[in-house]
Amino acid sequence: MAGAPLDAIRRVPLFAELSDAELEQVARLFKQRGFPAGETVAKEGSGGAAFYLIDSGEAAVTLAGNPRGTLGPGDYFGEIALIDEGARSATITATTDLSCYGLTFWDFRPLVQENAAICWKLLQFMVGRLRAAERQSP
Amino acid sequence: MTGVVTLAEARDDSIFGSKAVGLGDAAREGLPLPPGVALSGDIVEAVASGEEGAIEQVVRLARDLPLPLAVRSSAVDEDGADASFAGQHLTLLNVPSCDALGDAVREIWWSANSDSAITYRQRVGLFRRPSVGVVVQSLLDPDCAGVMFTRNPVTGDDELMIEASWGLGEAVVAGMVIPDNFRVARSGEVLDRTPGLKRIRIRSLPEGGTREEDVPADQAEALCLDDAQLADLSRLADRCEEVYGAARDIEFAFAGGNLYLLQCRAVTRAGV
Repeated sequence: MAGAPLDAIRRVPLFAELSDAELEQVARLFKQRGFPAGETVAKEGSGGAAFYLIDSGEAAVTLAGNPRGTLGPGDYFGEIALIDEGARSATITATTDLSCYGLTFWDFRPLVQENAAICWKLLQFMVGRLRAAERQSP
Repeated sequence: MTGVVTLAEARDDSIFGSKAVGLGDAAREGLPLPPGVALSGDIVEAVASGEEGAIEQVVRLARDLPLPLAVRSSAVDEDGADASFAGQHLTLLNVPSCDALGDAVREIWWSANSDSAITYRQRVGLFRRPSVGVVVQSLLDPDCAGVMFTRNPVTGDDELMIEASWGLGEAVVAGMVIPDNFRVARSGEVLDRTPGLKRIRIRSLPEGGTREEDVPADQAEALCLDDAQLADLSRLADRCEEVYGAARDIEFAFAGGNLYLLQCRAVTRAGV
């Protein structure tokens, strides 16, 4: 199947406010990607240009070598890299064979640049995150 | 969509990538290549996206290739990109069937979009969307294989320098064995032959992938190329220089008594 399932995409907060039509546009840009158990999916500090949504399997999250939980079907990581091309903030390692849907910066950016409605909703989401961070800071 | 062509039809490196067009030049000149097809960057993108029509198109054109298959990237977006990204973009040896081609092509597409490839792009100032073509060829099960420089890469002397080992050439390229070393004059005279220590060979597996095999002790230090094979290589070196120009870095294999050209690049090592 081309793209990723709409229901799975809809559960990602970054995309939660998009309409069905907008979600379909985003979903079509996803490509499947598999990682064998033991493979490093993302490495803390390295560059990253893709967001991943886990379809099946499990992965471990570590920060500076310390365990920070596990990820499973429906979980996702790398959404900030879709926008800022920044470094990975954690290391993700496949603990079982892992099947993901991946969306690259190169595919996502043109869609956002050409679609003001999607862009505005993403902006609102990011501002929401900023306000939440401000409320949490002393 | 520009799609899938035989290697002999791969002419435009902005569509198929420099590796595919280099092999296309060889095919058009009648050099002895394993049979293969070239996939454009567009169709690789479509296959990676899971488009059924694109996958069917690839399978249809690759169906006649003897199995198993070797699937290699052929970067299309920058000059010299294949050399630049040699350590980033994936090569899949021994894809067992055409049904596995879609997954193999998608894996290669992702190798150009992996975190390590992206980090490399950021470091060298090439942070833009990668475009990657693919070459699909029959994978040989060679008796022996290796690399040949048509000019000595260390001294710059006008002579052939050949390194070879048993089985697939990846054992030589990856430094897994001490290969046999040969120096051959332009006249064809063998100037030097030094046996290596080739304790393993890489063979293809019927179910896909490769494995390392132990080489019998009496073979490990025995020369893997004889004078007739060195003469064949000497002729291949001349033909490659006629087609591509001087100072070539050639990957070759002997399988079933025949010599095959696997890749031909400009020598980039010091001394040349």
